[in-house]
Amino acid sequence: MTHVDPAPHRTVSCTVNGKDVQVRCRDGALLVEMIRDTLDLTGTHIGCLNGDCGVCTVRVDGQVTKSCLYLAARAEGAEVTTIEGVAEEGTLHEVQQALWNGEGFQCGFCVPGQVFCAMDLLESNTTPSDGQIRHAISGNLCRCTGYQKIVEAIHDASTRLDPTEKTATH
Amino acid sequence: MRSLDERWVTPGQPVRRRDGDLLVTGHALYVDDFREPGTLHMAVLRSPHPHARISSIDTTSAMSVRGVRAIVTGKDVQAAIGPVPHWFDPANFGGNTSDFPALPVDEVVYAGQPVVAAAAESKAQAEAALAAVRVEYVPLPFVTSVPEAIREDAPLVFGRWDRNVALGDTISFGDAAGALERADHRASDTFSIQRYQTAPLEPRAYLARWGRDGRLTYHCNTQSPHQMRGNLAAMFGVPEPHVRVITPKVGGAFGHKFHGYPEEPLVALMAKTCGAPVKWIESREEAMLVGAREFEHDFEVGFMADGEITAIRSKVWSNVGALGAAGGWPMTVVSAMTIPGPYEIPNTECSYEVVVSNKAPWNGARGYGKESAAIVLERMVEMVAERLGMDPVAVRLRNFPPPEVFPHWLGGKRLDSGNYAVVLERAVEMSGYRERRRACRDERTDTTVFGVGIGFELTPEGGDWHGGLLRGFDTSTVRMDPSGDVTVLTGVTSPGTGNETGIAQVVAFELGVEFRAVTVLQGDTDTVPYGFGNSSSRSLNLGGASAALACRELRVKLVAAAAYTWNVPGETIHFRNGRVGCDGDASLGMTIGELAYAVYTAPMPVRELMPPQLEATATYWPANLDHDPPGPGGITHTPYPTFPYSAHVAQVAVDVETGLVKLVGYDAVHDCGTVVNPMFVEGQFHGAIAMGLGGALSEMNAYGADGMLQSTTFKTYLPIRATDLPDLRTDHVVTPSPVTLLGTKGAGEGGVGGALAAVMNAVNDAVGQVGATLRRFPARPPAVLAALQEARR
Repeated sequence: MTHVDPAPHRTVSCTVNGKDVQVRCRDGALLVEMIRDTLDLTGTHIGCLNGDCGVCTVRVDGQVTKSCLYLAARAEGAEVTTIEGVAEEGTLHEVQQALWNGEGFQCGFCVPGQVFCAMDLLESNTTPSDGQIRHAISGNLCRCTGYQKIVEAIHDASTRLDPTEKTATH
Repeated sequence: MRSLDERWVTPGQPVRRRDGDLLVTGHALYVDDFREPGTLHMAVLRSPHPHARISSIDTTSAMSVRGVRAIVTGKDVQAAIGPVPHWFDPANFGGNTSDFPALPVDEVVYAGQPVVAAAAESKAQAEAALAAVRVEYVPLPFVTSVPEAIREDAPLVFGRWDRNVALGDTISFGDAAGALERADHRASDTFSIQRYQTAPLEPRAYLARWGRDGRLTYHCNTQSPHQMRGNLAAMFGVPEPHVRVITPKVGGAFGHKFHGYPEEPLVALMAKTCGAPVKWIESREEAMLVGAREFEHDFEVGFMADGEITAIRSKVWSNVGALGAAGGWPMTVVSAMTIPGPYEIPNTECSYEVVVSNKAPWNGARGYGKESAAIVLERMVEMVAERLGMDPVAVRLRNFPPPEVFPHWLGGKRLDSGNYAVVLERAVEMSGYRERRRACRDERTDTTVFGVGIGFELTPEGGDWHGGLLRGFDTSTVRMDPSGDVTVLTGVTSPGTGNETGIAQVVAFELGVEFRAVTVLQGDTDTVPYGFGNSSSRSLNLGGASAALACRELRVKLVAAAAYTWNVPGETIHFRNGRVGCDGDASLGMTIGELAYAVYTAPMPVRELMPPQLEATATYWPANLDHDPPGPGGITHTPYPTFPYSAHVAQVAVDVETGLVKLVGYDAVHDCGTVVNPMFVEGQFHGAIAMGLGGALSEMNAYGADGMLQSTTFKTYLPIRATDLPDLRTDHVVTPSPVTLLGTKGAGEGGVGGALAAVMNAVNDAVGQVGATLRRFPARPPAVLAALQEARR
């Protein structure tokens, strides 16, 4: 017995992790709902549905975006990258590598926000200070690490991304 | 020092977590990531009143909402299932208790209490149905604070109780009253800790479905899968093995995911009623209901002119809300029994009262009351130092037991090992405490005062509580296949801490096999031995140790097999880097896989190999659990075998115009015994510190005078963020525990209390310069301004 949901629907065409997709969803669907429920990309998490915690972070046309504050319909024509799309051809990004090597996460639930915000920071600033790193990830909660090893891992990633510009940050 | 994917590992190496690639690429599966076709979604209608009689519930129009499959009320629950079993019943200690059915029939006792549940094809449809349910309430008088709740004429939360106290007792050693009389000096004060929780980012999640064979399969993120299984079986009246509880990846737990919540059976009941899988994911607002740590302390200390502390008299009242069946209220008892912590104080009298109110019930929270004991003790020590004009470090050193006396009975605890002075002095040195203390006075401006404070914490771990399924032992099975590869099945679970990696390190080392040859399985009641899951920093103490014991049993068989095969004495056999060898005869050698294959395929007529199965199950129970069982006669000895401890130094800047406290420096030193994975232990320590700092500075589940929760989102709860914290500088000292197999004491919990205490003392060091004292947490601007204003009067 399947009911037809009478709410107005639309089809959103966009690119997700490099693949063109056409997704049918409710007009009011959130981007995080489209990603998780329709595309079954469950690496994007839900922690508050309120923009406070950052576990639903993705990139939309390069912009770091909390997908619980973004309507799926708005992603029409956009390029969306989820956490599953960060490791190109199975090779971890330096930020992912550094977080793993340096215990920059424990339970892993907050990983999407930390990874995307760190990547975004390092794209414009290859030698960030502690304060700049903390500012960059301040929209992401982490309840496991006390942020310390996340900050250290982002420093580590910065030195690996740009070996010519090593800085003493501590 | 960095070792990533080493083939050969030993305990003590900073191996990175084994599941890290899955976690960091978004491929790890948490409960909400499991998808089954036809899954229905549950939503819960909650009481809008802190206390009310339910006069009627009308679900007729709700049933016609599109997509709705079932609506369940208290009467349906009463007819179908028993009450939610207690995580630990206050009656075990001779206290008042109550039954907690998943949904009430005629009365609600807190705002947010589940009243009606609906299952529908989508969560939105289930919520729409609940919006169409009509519940008539008759509001009743309610209490939200301890002073209100313990008044003679207070409205009762539970009508059958004589008063709003579940349990109260006094834990005494020596003669506190006499020693206070005889003391050169006495000082007393109060301190209140707010209601604040652990807020794991993954909320609670349950997914239930009943098979045609009558078995319930239940995915959830509980910390104790076997006890969850037992509870579900008891409530539904089915044999325990007919329930399979599976905990996949868990996104943090910290006590929030102890069992005993009403939604646990509701999901299973809905699945049964609808004949379909049913899922429920806790919303953040629902998660915010869970309380913890709302303590009020009143204490007095007696001390001599040389700084010797001779007596403590203290009382703690907890406001545990409407009790419930989950695991929060015993934090009160632990708070009282942790005193006198690390201090050699012969006369202590610690009373506690577990007070109930019309707030939502507690669940456990990392620290588990030990943090509130640290606050009391560390405030007292500072008061002694201030009164005597002594260095606060010297007062602590004066009262620590010296390292040579361990193991050492102190305040009902047999402290296993430690060198408290070394750890404190290391933290003092790292932080430049003494120089900072002087500099703080010089740097003061018209608008900013600076302060530095110490917090020393003793963290009793590995709790073994009689009378409930909360024991201090656990079990692992180690199985070697004919390939020589190893499977470990253990009763301890990982809430996201990565203890499976630590256990694999221990097992790979014990058996001399490759690290990647070891697979650790946890959290599936169909496969792992009966165990008690995750709490009280027990994973390596018990899971690691029981796995090591099982390995040693297995090793006896392997040695016998090799000795038989080569016709050499067993003592000459060694295992190293995946190979078996013979001391003194380098020509003999084979891989462990070849030996395992030989055991399974070639009969060997030796006693150790009859039967030849390469599998062993061992249960580990640390020494040092020779305590008296707590009971109605009172508690004498604590149910903890190991005692990690840590010293913390916090530096703050307080803006006296705005009341804003800024944490500007943080140093801490930790001793949790032998360390299996230093990177994980350091991460655990940081996390515990941050959870303490969050509570010290901002986090709060605030209630209004109307009995309603005000902090319903993170925006008002104010969790600590990266920008709120300075660099956390930490170090470790190792004194192995003589009472555990591996020398571990338990890591994960230690740090919460030290952080809270250090901030308390740092803030008071700062505001004390303008004559003020902070006596409550969190040190949010309004509380700090109030303390400053009081000083100006």
